[in-house]
This record gives sequence, structure tokens and C-alpha cells, in this order.
Amino acid sequence: MSLQRHLLPVLILPLFLPFISGCIQEKGRQEGKETVIIFKHGKIAGDPEPFRQLLDRFEKENPGIKVNDETLPASTDEQHQFYAINLEGRSSDFDVLSMDVIWVPEFARAGWLMDLGHLIQEGERDEFFPGPMHAVTYNEKIYAIPWYIDAGLLYYRKDILDKYGFLPPKIWDELVHQAKTITKNESDLYGFIWQGKQYEGLVCNVLEYFWSNGGDVIRGREIVVNSIENVTALRLMRDLIVTYAVTPPLVTTAIEEPTRHIFGNGRAIFMRNWPYAWNIFEREGSPVKGKVGISTLPSFPGKESASTLGGWQLGINRYSRHPDAAERLIRFLTSYEAQKTFALTIGYKPTRKSLYRDRDLMKEQPFITGLYDVFMKARPRPVTPYYMMVTQVMQPEFSAALSGIKTPEEALSSVQRQIEHIMGVAR
Amino acid sequence: MNPKFKVVGLYLLLALTILYCSGPLLWQFITSLKPDAEIVRIPPLLPQNTTVDHYVSIFKGHPFLRIILNSAVVAASTTLLSLIIGSLAAFGLARLNIRYKALILGFVLSVSMFPPIATVSPLYLIIRALGLRDTWWALIITYTTFSLPLAIWILTNFFREIPDEIYRAARVDGCSPFQAFYKIILPLSAPGVFATAVLVFIFSWNEFLFALTFTSTTASRTIPVGIALFPGLHEVPWGDIAAASVVVTIPLIVLIFAFQRRIIEGLTAGAVKG
Amino acid sequence: MTIKDSGYRFVISALILLSLVSIYPLVYVLYLSLHRRLLIFDISRFVGLENYLFLLKDDRFWNALKNTVYFTVVSVSMELFLGLSIAMLLNRTFMFKGIVRALVLIPWAIPTVVSARMWEWMYNTDFGILNYMLGAKINWLGSPFWAMNAAIFMDVWKTTPFVAILLMAGLHVIPQDIYHAARVDGAENLAIFRKITLPLLKPVILVVLIFRTLDAFRVFDAVYVLTGGGPANTTETLSIYAYKTLFQTLQFGYGSALSVVIFLCIGSISIFYIRLLSRGIKQ
Repeated sequence: MSLQRHLLPVLILPLFLPFISGCIQEKGRQEGKETVIIFKHGKIAGDPEPFRQLLDRFEKENPGIKVNDETLPASTDEQHQFYAINLEGRSSDFDVLSMDVIWVPEFARAGWLMDLGHLIQEGERDEFFPGPMHAVTYNEKIYAIPWYIDAGLLYYRKDILDKYGFLPPKIWDELVHQAKTITKNESDLYGFIWQGKQYEGLVCNVLEYFWSNGGDVIRGREIVVNSIENVTALRLMRDLIVTYAVTPPLVTTAIEEPTRHIFGNGRAIFMRNWPYAWNIFEREGSPVKGKVGISTLPSFPGKESASTLGGWQLGINRYSRHPDAAERLIRFLTSYEAQKTFALTIGYKPTRKSLYRDRDLMKEQPFITGLYDVFMKARPRPVTPYYMMVTQVMQPEFSAALSGIKTPEEALSSVQRQIEHIMGVAR
Repeated sequence: MNPKFKVVGLYLLLALTILYCSGPLLWQFITSLKPDAEIVRIPPLLPQNTTVDHYVSIFKGHPFLRIILNSAVVAASTTLLSLIIGSLAAFGLARLNIRYKALILGFVLSVSMFPPIATVSPLYLIIRALGLRDTWWALIITYTTFSLPLAIWILTNFFREIPDEIYRAARVDGCSPFQAFYKIILPLSAPGVFATAVLVFIFSWNEFLFALTFTSTTASRTIPVGIALFPGLHEVPWGDIAAASVVVTIPLIVLIFAFQRRIIEGLTAGAVKG
Repeated sequence: MTIKDSGYRFVISALILLSLVSIYPLVYVLYLSLHRRLLIFDISRFVGLENYLFLLKDDRFWNALKNTVYFTVVSVSMELFLGLSIAMLLNRTFMFKGIVRALVLIPWAIPTVVSARMWEWMYNTDFGILNYMLGAKINWLGSPFWAMNAAIFMDVWKTTPFVAILLMAGLHVIPQDIYHAARVDGAENLAIFRKITLPLLKPVILVVLIFRTLDAFRVFDAVYVLTGGGPANTTETLSIYAYKTLFQTLQFGYGSALSVVIFLCIGSISIFYIRLLSRGIKQ
């Protein structure tokens, strides 16, 4: 008897759990006649308050709609994984989602996104930077609206370059020359640091060298990654580390932050990074405050400089139950006014070109005007639904070339072969 | 060998062990007291201008207390459920008459052989179908299931160590199998039970993948997800993360210390009586 | 008199819970692994064992398997050795035993997400404390040789407490009179360890080995945070490969097949352990 008496609660308890939590769920869902839309996005840096205020403004302007914003970790891998699990399971648990620039064609191809073409009129498209507009377009349809933008920049130490009478380098050879000259005298400085760990950021870095030598990965329907331009470009990256020794070997494990710390401590002359680092360098107590300059990345002689486009876009979950309200939220968040507030309070860069001539913004963040050219030139990584497969192929091969396991030729011909295989399956 | 020398050697080894195990946390602690500008400089090792800013900021900007509460509830419930269900099963498998014991043990073990990354998608579908998304129970049920194999295996082995005569004597004295289990067998294997409890607790305290997938707001988010939420787009606020990890580790140490003393006391008391 | 009480009532709740929660996912993974399922190619069809056959000629799979085996063998043996040493040390009498035991558990108590980042920080070539203390400039995570071993060091540090606490519990239940008897008989320390401690610990060592192997073979976030599988996939383990296949390139069928293979590997290792140790016990 005593057995049953003691065992019973144990067996029964789990059966009750769903009911208990069922009640909790009900409470959350029923908030009068309001439409509640759920907005999923990556962690927004700093204080969450300004962003909440922005959403409050939306709720005020749109009575009857309530926005619950649910944050995901900033790690893009974790976000991609979260969306893959949810959308593959046809989840309608969220309505608006923010996407990395490389995911839109993939999600669109998988049938997870709604067509948002009607949100941007033909004439309004020019309002946005061309790079992100290209990235959200798949099969001539627009599946997301650019929310904020990011692109690779060259950071340099104004004070040091001035001391040696150098101007910011326009071509790679110049950068190597300047870095070599300076580090010869100041041996505790690194010449040029960038991101070379095996991850997505490595691809962003490498593509900038490819493009600045006229190379590319995919052109139209053709795979052109194994080209003489790209070989030269990849070899330069390896040479920066080995032959010219202006780049320390530690870049082969570096992501954004370690390089930002080194540069921020005044230990490097040049750095490739995203715009986010600027605000941190200009903070009170920063050793490099007022000593940093930015410019577009160098190129090979006679070629165009290029930088890799980053940033996030807003789309609507195909399984959303409130697409109308969701559309309104996206329209609001990508509007001129909302983007301006976002840039002023949080510092994320707007996707609308006209904001770079906005007086308030220019007064608060003077360096934003310098970014306009960079963003105009920013190029999206190959816009294809298979991008995630393509990058999985490129990352280890580029990493192998940088750490000297393979020659640039070997690495690129292997990339070429593997991408051809993927595209062959696709056809 | 000189006994005095031996004692010194023992304490020296102990000090080394402690340094090895807690060194990195100590380093975390030192890091958490440094202002941002000092964190990425070495030397010096110790902070020049000590600051508690990072501790203030983890509680100010984030619902960190709620997240700690979530973790505590989830981990404690998981431990309790796993111990109850697991020890019963282990007792049955170790002491009682059941056919296909090896097969059952094999099945139990196989549950935790799939990589979690493969089972997380289908599990998510179940959790959603049950309406448990973003609740404590989603995590408690999942964690209990995946810690049961460990609990059952450890406890089965400890229960087996207890001589059969003791159980038989208890039955002859008029105990039901269940009474024999919780009055005799369980107290005798207290170290094993304690070890299991600690391991299950810490497993649920640390789990990340399921927590990331099944939770979406502070209503149910646990510490690992909370900490993963500190970094921004590219920036990683290292001082805050260090402070947060010190804050979440200290209660754990206190808890383990408190519990283990009680268990060992209980054990010696039992031994004296017996 | 023999007592043969039936034990089904005791096991049933565990079995019900395990079946409810785990059977569907397991069957689902098996089902997927027999399909070619590529959302972005709009493909979803039954292909039988094709995924498994493709595995055989997939170089990346063999590379990942090699890395995983290396990681598992090295880390588990180091953990067992260190864990046993710590357990024996802590089993002696000394002051502040409780505190010391709690302190030893610290590494296990720190969330992997944090400890991996913490070590990434300590491994930093430029301002990491390891290079500072060694006075060296080792590129821990960037050189193909060090990267995997660096990941192993971290895992050993992190999970040795798991091993130590289990073995400690195991040592605790060994009756002290056995040792006394042995000492009275004049046995040497080493002989006591080999003839008494080790055989009596065998069941616990079995549990430790199984569960550590099970975890090490599935190792994911510890390595993923540190190296992301690089440089040049030299630290890509099976789980990392499966993760990238499932959640980054969305090849659900092939990723599931990889997971099933991980499952089968662990299953055979477990059976091997159990055979090995149960033979030892019977002797």
C-alpha cells in the first residue's frame, strides 16, 4: 500500500504540469481585443530602453496593435539555428524576424518568408543603399526590408600616419609599405590586423581582397572563384602574415573583438573592422580617442576598392497570423524617422541614403558622412539561396590557405570544384 | 617517510589542486573588477582601479535576478524529479526481479547517445504541441529525461554494492520492498545519491541548446542563455560577462558546500546508530 | 530463504517518461536520415541508405571522425587519470574538507558557454594570461597542432570534477575495515590500490567511462566556441559537422544520418566498455 501512496504523486505530477502552464500561457495571450505581434531580433547593443521606447511609439501610432519584442543572442549561428528549427516546424510563434543579409534568399527559397514587394514602391527603392536592396531581392521579388547596415572599413591611426607624413593608403602595396616603415621604428606596434578565424567573418575579409582585384565568386550563373585575380588576392593575405610580416599570425584565430581590443589599446596601425568600433574608440578613457581615422579599404592598382556588406533586414514569417500588423511594424521601423532615432540612440547605421545628409545626425555623429561612400560601395556576398553551403565550402579552404596548409591555388581550385558540385545538384 | 613531511606534501598537493580548479574563476573574478580599459591589458595582472561597475550593470540593464530564479527552479525540480524517478528505477534494476535488465539499462543509456543537436528539432515540436513553450516545465521535462540515464546508471551501481543480506534482513523484519528501499538502501548509498544530485543539478544549470530553443522571454530563460545575451552585434562586454559568471557560480559553490556537509553528517550519524 | 520481489512497479515511471520524451525524436531522426531533405533545393524524398553510402566517400566525415576519436581518447584518459588522483587525494583526512570539495567542483559548475569564452580569452596570443605566464607567444587556437590540444585542455579542466566527484563517492562507500585488514596483513600502498581500491571502484569507473565517452564523443560547444572547427577544419568534430549540416546548410537528411552514426559509434563503445569491465568483475 505504502508503495502506491508514495509512487502515485510522482506518476501523477508530470500529468498536471501541462495544465498548470496552460493557464500561464492563456494569460499571456489574451490581452483584450488587441493584436499581439511578436518581433524576434538579435540582441541590440547597450541599454534596451531606447528601443522599447521606439516600439512604444509604434503602439501609440497604431492603436490595437501590441508588439512583444523577443531577443535572441547576437551570435548569428544561434539565430540561424533558432529560425531553422522554428520555421521548419512551421511555427507561427513570431511574426516579424530580423535576418542577416546572407539569409534572405535562402529563407525565401525555403518558402519561409512573405513577399514584401508592395511595401516599397518602385521609386522608393532608390532611397535605400543598392547593396542591401540587391541582397533582399530573390527572383525579382523583395522578401525583406533593410533595417540597418554594416560594412568593412579601414581604421588607421591618424596621429602615427601624420608623424610619418603618410596619407591613408589607397592600394594594398601602399599599406604594406607604410606598415613596414612604421613598425621598423616602433617594434611594439602591429602593422595591420584583421579577422582570420574560420568563421563567416573570414569570408567577409577575403572577399574584400577578391573584389578589390576585380575577382568574384559567382558571376551570374558562372562560378568564377578559381581565377588568377583571386589567387593573387589570397596570396597577398598569406604574404601579409608571412612574407611582409606586417600582420601577426594571431589574426588566424581572431574575430572582431580581439582585433578591436588590440587596436583600441593603441597596439596597431591599421585594422579592418565594422563601423561599431568607432563609437568605442571615441568613448571617454579610450587610449586612442581622437587619434583614429577611417577610410575605404585599399585595392589593387587600378581596381575599385570594395567592402563586404553586413547588416540586418526585416521580414515576415510566412506562417504569421497577423501579416497586416507585421507589415505596419516593418514599415514603421524602416521609416526615415524611426531609422533616425535608432541611429541617434543606439548607433546602428541607417539603410536610407538621405539620412546621411540629416542635420541632427551629422551633428551628433560627424563621422557618419564618411560612411556614405563605404556603404555605397558595399557589396553583398553571393546572393543565392545556397550561400550557406557556399560559405561552408569557402571557410575551411580560406583558413587552410592562411595557415599555410594549402597554397592559394590548391585552396581555390578546391573551392571551385565544390561549389560547382553544389550548383550542379541545384540544377 | 617523516609523517610531518607527508602532511606538508598533502597540503601542498591540495593547494595545487585548488589552484588548478579555481584559478580560471579567480581570473574571472579579477577581470570583473577591472574597468573596461584595463581588461585587455596584461601586465599588470591585478586591477589598478578596482570597480564594481560590471556588477551594477548586470543587474541594472537585465532581469538577471529573474533569470537566476528560473535556473534555480528548473535545476532544483529536475534534480528532485530525476532522483525520485531514477532511484526507484535503479533500485528495481539493482535489487529486484525484472526480466531483460540488461536490455532496459541499454535502452535507458541509448536515450542520451544521440547528439542533442539532432533531437532538438523534434523535441521542440513536442514541446510546442503540449503548449509548454517558454515555460519552466519545457526545460524540467527535457532535462529530467536526459539526466535519467546518468542517475539510473550511477544509482544502480551504488545499490548493487550493498550486500544482499541487508535487503533480505529488512524484508524478513517486515518491511515492504519500498520501505526497505527508502529506509535502508537509500541512506546506505548516500554518497552516490549526493554525487548524482550534484551532477544532475549542474547539468541542468548549464544546459544551453534546449534552453535557447524552448525559451523566448525572461519568463523562463536560464542563465546560459542570459549570458549569451550579453554581447551586442559585434561588441562583447567582457567585464559584464565575467561579473555574471562569478555571480552565478558562487551560489552553486555555497549550495554544494552546505549540502555535502549535511549528507556526510547524516551518514556518520547513521553509521554510529547501526 | 530467497526473496524475489517483482521490480516492475519501480522502473515503470522512468520508462514511461523516457519513452514519451525520447522515442519520437529518435524515430524522427532515423526517419530523416533515410531521406534526402533539402528545403532550399525543394527536395524531400525517400532515398534509403543513400546518405549513409555517401558518408563513406565523404572526406570531411572521415576527417571529423578522426578528430572526434582523438579528442575522445585523449581527453577521457586524461580526465580519468586526473580525476582518480584528485579523488584519492580528497579522500584523505585534512582540514576544511567540505570547502575544498566544493572548490574542486568549480570548473564543472561554470556554464560551458562561459568557460569556453573564458579559455578563449586566456588563450589569446596577445593579452591572454597563459602566454603571459609562460612568457611565450604561442598561437594556441590558430596553429593546427595546438588548436585541438587546446580544446582538449579546456575540456579536461572542465570535466575532471565530474570524474572526481563520482570516484570520491565510490571511494567513500568502500568499507574502511578492508583497508585496515590489508594493512594488518602488511600490504604495500601500491598493492592496496591495485588489489583493493581499483577492483572495488570498477563499477564506478565503468559509469565514469561510459558517460565521459558519451559526452566527449558528442563534444560540441566547447570546441565550437574556441575554434569554430578551424583552422582548416582541423578541429571539426562530428557534432560540429552535424551542426553545420543541420542548422547552417539545412541538409536535414544528411545531418540526421551523421547523428545516427554518432549514436552508433557511442553505442558500440559503450557495449565494448560493459563487456570489458563485466568480464573483469566476474573473475
